[in-house]
Amino acid sequence: MRLGFLVLTAVVAAGAIGFAQATRSAGRSTITGSWEAYPIRGEGFGSGIQPKTPVTPPKPIPEPPLRQPHLDQWRALQAHDAELTRKGLPPASSGMACAPQGMPGVMQATFPMEILETPGQVTIIQEAFNQVRRIFLDVPPVAPEDADPRFFGHSTGRWENGTLVVNTVGVKEVARVRNAPHSAAMRITERLRLLNPEILENQITVEDPEYLTAPWKWTWMYKRWPGYRIEEYVCEDNRYFEDPELRYQRLKVN
Amino acid sequence: MRPFPDRVLRLLLAVAATGLVLSAPVGAHHSFAPYESTLQVKMVGTVTAFKWANPHVYFEIDVPDGTSGATKHWLIECASTSILNRAGWKFNMLKPGDRVTVIVSPLRNGESAALLKQLTLADGKKYGNGAVAGPATIE
Repeated sequence: MRLGFLVLTAVVAAGAIGFAQATRSAGRSTITGSWEAYPIRGEGFGSGIQPKTPVTPPKPIPEPPLRQPHLDQWRALQAHDAELTRKGLPPASSGMACAPQGMPGVMQATFPMEILETPGQVTIIQEAFNQVRRIFLDVPPVAPEDADPRFFGHSTGRWENGTLVVNTVGVKEVARVRNAPHSAAMRITERLRLLNPEILENQITVEDPEYLTAPWKWTWMYKRWPGYRIEEYVCEDNRYFEDPELRYQRLKVN
Repeated sequence: MRPFPDRVLRLLLAVAATGLVLSAPVGAHHSFAPYESTLQVKMVGTVTAFKWANPHVYFEIDVPDGTSGATKHWLIECASTSILNRAGWKFNMLKPGDRVTVIVSPLRNGESAALLKQLTLADGKKYGNGAVAGPATIE
């Protein structure tokens, strides 16, 4: 009985030390905790509370530098979809079918997200669609030819002077940002760093020699939301379907 | 086909005359474009069902038509459970038999479903439906 108590105490102490190492690694501040998109969004999307020290919000995502004929095809598709949406006939989407956003779309923080730092791993949980991605630290990167296609791909990372640099390959072709196509050779690099204690910046670079003429770069930002508990989001009651004739997002009314 | 009672139609036309155009960002799950976002309708009805689930919460109401005496059944679409929790809703705040007032944007295709803009309970408390659905612009 006493031995059991000692073992339990040792296990708890070891766990606490491991956690402390994870949260104060190399003297930097931890990014563990809940985050919401910055700039602050409207009702229901986050805390509604501005940071103590606001920063300049990131610019909108630029047009993807697609190779021709992909660029013309992409522009035509964007215009076509916008016109249908204006008419009230938005084209069916993977989101409508409750598919996850995948990489890198999950990192726009549609709903709040939780970042967990544990030894050797950073885990990111996005509330929308219960999405989870795992970043394995200080291990060799996965070669694209060894990466089976997944919504969140295969992510490896390392801390460099307070910046978490993450490399992701092996993203499914259906996981798209701004509906931009990509190949199995797509590589995403993220550089995550704290701009101040409340604001986390994520500089994203997408490279894809098959589809892009140059790296596609943009920045997303997040604001800390201390104490927020990520909610459950299971698509158990999806009433949307693709209209078989007009092929638009349609609500099952009866 | 006449999708709305006359008094609702008059209100629709009055709102349309303001020329208000709402442009909502795309949400996590789907577009709200099938709804007529430029039109808002106020209805008083009795709740017949309330489903607190994702990707979206729904409730149903029976709305009496003042001119014909008939009752029309409406499906009301709300945001996700998490958005509603953050907007102050509670999973058990509606039940069949409750009398509610809603301000909604109906489907453009004439089916009797609508996107909620504002819910008012019998005790007068008002609830929004999150930033993507947008606020009520009529009283």
